[in-house]
Amino acid sequence: MNELWPRLLVNYPYLAAAILFVIGTFTVLTHPNLFKKLLGINIMESAIFLTFVASGNIRGGVAPIRATANAEAVYINPLPSALMLTGIVVSVSVTAFALALIVRLYRVYGTTDLRRIVVRRKEVTGDDGFAQG
Amino acid sequence: MTALLRANLPVLVVIAPLFIAFILTPLARRIRLVETLAFLATVLGLGAAGHLATVVFARRGSPFIYQLGGWPPPWGIELVAGNLGVIFALVVTGVSVPVVLFARGNLTAEVGDTGRVTRFYVLYLLLVGALAGMAVTNDLFNIYVLVEVVTLSCCGLVSARRHPRAAEAAFTYLILATLGSAFVLGGIGLIYMLTGHLNMGFAGQELGRVWPDYPHTVLLAVSFVIIGFGVKAAVFPLHVWLPDAHATAPSPASAILSGLAVKGYLLCLLKFLYGVFGGVLLRELAVHRILTLLGVAGIIAGSLLALTQEELKRRLAYSTVAQVGYLVLGGGLLNATGLTGALFYLASHAVIKATLFLAAGAIQAATGKSRIRELAGVGRKMPLTMAAFTIGSCGLIGLPLFFGFIGKWYLLVGSLEAGMILPVVAILAGSVLCAAYLLPVIRTAYFRPAPAVAWRDPGRPQKLALLLLATAVVVLGVRPGPFLELARKAAAELMAFV
Repeated sequence: MNELWPRLLVNYPYLAAAILFVIGTFTVLTHPNLFKKLLGINIMESAIFLTFVASGNIRGGVAPIRATANAEAVYINPLPSALMLTGIVVSVSVTAFALALIVRLYRVYGTTDLRRIVVRRKEVTGDDGFAQG
Repeated sequence: MTALLRANLPVLVVIAPLFIAFILTPLARRIRLVETLAFLATVLGLGAAGHLATVVFARRGSPFIYQLGGWPPPWGIELVAGNLGVIFALVVTGVSVPVVLFARGNLTAEVGDTGRVTRFYVLYLLLVGALAGMAVTNDLFNIYVLVEVVTLSCCGLVSARRHPRAAEAAFTYLILATLGSAFVLGGIGLIYMLTGHLNMGFAGQELGRVWPDYPHTVLLAVSFVIIGFGVKAAVFPLHVWLPDAHATAPSPASAILSGLAVKGYLLCLLKFLYGVFGGVLLRELAVHRILTLLGVAGIIAGSLLALTQEELKRRLAYSTVAQVGYLVLGGGLLNATGLTGALFYLASHAVIKATLFLAAGAIQAATGKSRIRELAGVGRKMPLTMAAFTIGSCGLIGLPLFFGFIGKWYLLVGSLEAGMILPVVAILAGSVLCAAYLLPVIRTAYFRPAPAVAWRDPGRPQKLALLLLATAVVVLGVRPGPFLELARKAAAELMAFV
């Protein structure tokens, strides 16, 4: 146990990622506001990005560019960072799409609160085959 | 030219639909052309997949390995078209053809003007291409990208319907599916940290060596992958998004979402569990027992929930939850018979559920009714549609001589081989429950007096699509030979890792 804390503190990016991941997941699953849900998703994804990027990092390492580094420099692994660029692009697209859906829902229901949407569903959409559950 | 095509076959299956998807948008004003091009794209995909199947078959078991851009592994992205890839590519492209045929000239009521219909086809082709990509890819990060393409196009297809409930369902789906993606990406990240590889073969070998040193990290990676794909594939307790999304989507979209998209994630899950983690690790962590239990729970709970639904499409959507249970169960048996059953049932369910959803969509479009008790007399007014629905139902229940029977049979034998009695009970109970929730629909449609209104079978392309699918259910049920052989070989490929 007394070994655990120093090890955790040395790997503080992972600790931060774990905390962010839990905050994000909790927000997504429990918050009734659609915007907050989306923010939760973004926090979760940031946590994953942080894990990836931290896994490629070496303390005191330099970016792997031959022209600027001296011969005995230690390079960090650029691959996780490159992968996370793709991840960020995906995350941006998801956010844009989700925002568009929120706008559409707001126009219909006049609210972004899931609880109020459930209440208003019947009066707005009527009974056209989608009324149940 | 033919040599060039032949050398690039595995990637052609993927990029033919993707490429045509992106040239559709500017053609929105000529909707007939868009529809024809989309149809041609799926036919092209099916042709490529069929050709790939013959090539792989001629190679007698050694997979067709394709290196994207000529970069060899472990650096480059590798596509591996073995029997497993071929069977899934065939299922994806094969089901996508009748579904796109059904959509022809039939989307305006559900989706809207030509611009929206064009965007529907763009998303549809993206989905088909990405699913075909899942079949052949052998790279962890490539899987993540394909998973995201599938997720976003699925959510787009659900939200294509002009109905507030569709937007709501799409939002829930998007949020939960992205949650799943985050878990999957986390799992991939942990595997990469442990092994330093993104190629599945290399990562699997390395993981087999190093996992005793990092038991906690491996456990975390396995659970991330299972939860991530579990949410996306609607494995039972994580299925909450599915009924809304699949029931509110436009009918062709429902057919492809229930029939194919869910299966893509399950295939990825199998690739991860067998190809990367490997049988030793699965046994050590008792993952296979967890999968079996999830499968059993899914079959029973999904079927019971389906029984309580009054709307036809919702009932079919819950039935998908139950059928996913069969596939998960087969994946957890860890023997060749069970896996053969799971892969064969994957194909049968794809065809059958597409038939059922398209027939349900045709009925809903013609009658304007969605509740089952309002469908009295549909069988006599829409004979072809209801015949297709009946054939599909027989297949899903698993009656002999229909497509669904053999898969369930192999799953049953596989459970007995594994010495487990609970899955046997669940498989049999699932069939009985399936009859209990589908036969009342058929009874109402055929044996209740019809109201005096003019309901008619849908147009010619829709009829042809239903006919094609229903024929496939019967023909592949009576003569499963070559397809069963393919499933058996694909299962053997996965079992090589156990």
